[in-house]
Amino acid sequence: MANFLVWVVWFFAAFACLASAVAVVSFSNPFYSALALIGNLASLAVLYLLLSGEFVAAGQVLVYGGAVMVMFLFVIAYLGDRTDQSPWSGGPSWQVVGAVLAGGAILAEICVVVGLKAGGFLEKPQHIGRSFGSPAELGRAFLTDHLLAFEITSIVLLVAAVGGVVLGAHARAVEPDARA
Amino acid sequence: MTTAAWVCLLLPLASAAVITVCGTLIPRRAAAYISTLSTFGAFAAAAVAFAEMWSKSPGHRAATTTSWTWLSAGPYHFGFTLLVDQLSIVMMLIVSGVGSLIVAYSVGYMDGEDEERRFFAYMSTFLFSMLLLVEGGNLLLLLAGWGMVGLSSYLLIGYYQERASAIAAAKKAFVMNAFGDATMALALFLLIQHTGALGYASVFAASPHGGAVANLIALGLLGGAVAKSAQLPLHTWLPDAMEGPTPVSALIHAATMVTAGVYLIVRCHPLFEKAYVIEDLAAGLGAATLLMAGLIALVQTDIKRVIAYSTMSQIGYMFVGAGLGAYPNAMFHLMTHAFFKALLFLAAGIAIHAVVGEQDIRKLAGVGKLMPFTKWVFLIGSLALVGIFPFAGFFSKDSIISSALDHGWYGDVIYAACLVGAFLTGIYAFRLFFIVFTGEPSAFTREHFHRHHGQEGPTSMLWTVGTLGVLSVIGGLLQFAPLWHPLTDWLAPVAAPIVEPTNAEEWITSAVAIAVGLAGIAVAWAIYGARRVAAPRALPALEKKFYWDELYDIVWYRTSDLLARGLYAFVELPLIGGSLAAVGVVFGTGSRELSLAQNGLVRSYALALASGLAVLTVVFLAVR
Amino acid sequence: MHGPDIQWYVVLSAILFATGALGVLLRRNPLIILLSVEIMLNAANLLLIAMSRLHGGEDGQIFAISVMAVAASEVVVGLGLIVAMGRRQVDLDVDKLRTLRG
Repeated sequence: MANFLVWVVWFFAAFACLASAVAVVSFSNPFYSALALIGNLASLAVLYLLLSGEFVAAGQVLVYGGAVMVMFLFVIAYLGDRTDQSPWSGGPSWQVVGAVLAGGAILAEICVVVGLKAGGFLEKPQHIGRSFGSPAELGRAFLTDHLLAFEITSIVLLVAAVGGVVLGAHARAVEPDARA
Repeated sequence: MTTAAWVCLLLPLASAAVITVCGTLIPRRAAAYISTLSTFGAFAAAAVAFAEMWSKSPGHRAATTTSWTWLSAGPYHFGFTLLVDQLSIVMMLIVSGVGSLIVAYSVGYMDGEDEERRFFAYMSTFLFSMLLLVEGGNLLLLLAGWGMVGLSSYLLIGYYQERASAIAAAKKAFVMNAFGDATMALALFLLIQHTGALGYASVFAASPHGGAVANLIALGLLGGAVAKSAQLPLHTWLPDAMEGPTPVSALIHAATMVTAGVYLIVRCHPLFEKAYVIEDLAAGLGAATLLMAGLIALVQTDIKRVIAYSTMSQIGYMFVGAGLGAYPNAMFHLMTHAFFKALLFLAAGIAIHAVVGEQDIRKLAGVGKLMPFTKWVFLIGSLALVGIFPFAGFFSKDSIISSALDHGWYGDVIYAACLVGAFLTGIYAFRLFFIVFTGEPSAFTREHFHRHHGQEGPTSMLWTVGTLGVLSVIGGLLQFAPLWHPLTDWLAPVAAPIVEPTNAEEWITSAVAIAVGLAGIAVAWAIYGARRVAAPRALPALEKKFYWDELYDIVWYRTSDLLARGLYAFVELPLIGGSLAAVGVVFGTGSRELSLAQNGLVRSYALALASGLAVLTVVFLAVR
Repeated sequence: MHGPDIQWYVVLSAILFATGALGVLLRRNPLIILLSVEIMLNAANLLLIAMSRLHGGEDGQIFAISVMAVAASEVVVGLGLIVAMGRRQVDLDVDKLRTLRG
């Protein structure tokens, strides 16, 4: 029974994930695309929970959904919808064909590579304890095994903050550029 | 003996080096005296070597000395070897002896020239090269000396470098000699291939007998000899070489360099005897040359050119002698010819020097009346040339002619040719003498003749010419084949003759030759001396020197020119130039095509990234 | 608790990634392109966490958190650029930005 429940939840989450991803890519109004992405992030959080990554799921909702998407929505609201052509047209004629081919190839390749390299292992997930994926475990890992990644990430965040300030500042009078 | 040989060889080289290095630091006369002293020193050293050799027994007269291994390549080792034997000592004495007299003469002749130092440096270089050629102990050194005398000849012919004709003549001489050098080098390659060495003894012992290879070797050597000695068909450079100063003509183109071909044949006679067809060819070429040169000399109007054709003709006699196998006779004629030909050139030089450098015999006519000394020595030289008893040419030329009698029908033809040549010699030699040195002086001569401080010419010119005159008188007495023959005996261990005319043949030939020569003199006297008979009009073929120059112009120059133009138009411009241009075009169009990928569209760049990722994944999967 | 095996997550991640890639390649609005990049990043995160579950270690989750932080920073800078574009009255169309051409 529990197994069946898990499968049902999984299907719903997966379906929502895929549908929202397609929606992000296909809406012409960027506001709708951003909202669809929020749905994508939420379903992904559910999937993380199914994989026992509780902290990561929480972080996903808080950071991505709470901060990143809010920023997106602010900017989209600020700028408005400036595209005056249909979203899919434009560009060289071979762009669509090439893109579909490349995307399909990447999809097939990921499956093939993972299947070839790790096919046997995928059947047997490890047995995990209760504290797997808990904040305590992750914290300990960050501050012991992956301390360097932790520190560098903090520097990246600092740089991004500085960059955001610089890019957004009204430093000097802005004249309209010639059309590119 | 070998020390004396080294001294003899290196003194002229030292003087050339000193003159070159000191350059303008020494006065011009000093250069002249350095060169003259070095040449006399070389002659003294050669005389010392000769005396030492004389004191030894005939079997032990040869000596070789190697100073270091010059060339070492794989199994072949060639040393810097000098060979002093009976043959080379004869040549050394002639070269240094006559050479020192001519260099002393040119002290007076070249006085006042701006570039006197250059002249004497070149003369010393030439003497060194010629001595290297005759003293060389292996064919490699001979070839080295061969090439260097060609170089010295080029430098000296083109001495008056402001004159375009002199430069052209120098180039012509050098190119034709280079042809001979090439054939000689090919012969040397064959010798190395078949005998593995170039030293005389080993080559003569080991070279192949008969067959194509022996003929090719002999032919190659003959080619070099023909080019250097200006025989048919490589003779056209010698008359043009008269552009050089008169001492140069005397030394190089009469006494020494042009006789190097005869020396080569005599030295390498074992190789030629193994290829008797080529030896007969040498004799035939000599006979043809002596006739042709004699005919052309009948109509020349430049005094030096007449003497040049005479040289060509006399070397023809030497080739006949060497080709028939009468090696000592050929060397004897070489020696006497050096005396009287140098005498003729230098005496002509005195006349030229006295009449503001004029060389046309019609303008120089009658100068003999104003220059008696020159007239008499020129007469001595001409008589020696024609071969009248008791002057030098008589003794040497007749031995060669009589050697032709024992050679079958081929020898008889050559015999007849030589006698006709003697007749022609009489005519042209005395035509020259009667026009220039007898009769009333022409208007030109009267106007431009000037004495040199009361004498006919500078003292150095007069005593050297006088010495050569004495030698032309007594030099022939060295050998008179039927009665006494010290030279043949001297050379026998090295170059034994393979044909010995009988005494009867000698006497008969001598008589006929004298008669024929006197007949020629009589004809010349009738036309040019006493002016009883009008001079016949010159045939155009003779005046055009039998059209050899025109033939070579068409065969060599025009075809090369055509070939060069054709190659330029069809290979150089389209292929080579085109390929270079094509490289540029390829890069240009390639870049232009490739730059279409930089279209500025971000999305196409992203597509490139994605496609590249897809492809690379497959590649890495395949390669593992 | 059983559920789908890990390979289901792998396939799902692959499809998400491909969808994001298509979005990047085929849309002209830079905002949509950024959103598609977010989709791709999330697909990678999903794969990382699935593998972490597979191996039983937290390394994958650590990486996923770092990826999230970096993605956030990248969005900051990207949106800053787009705002700057908008301030200069430039059309929000990547096809119009082609002065850097060869």
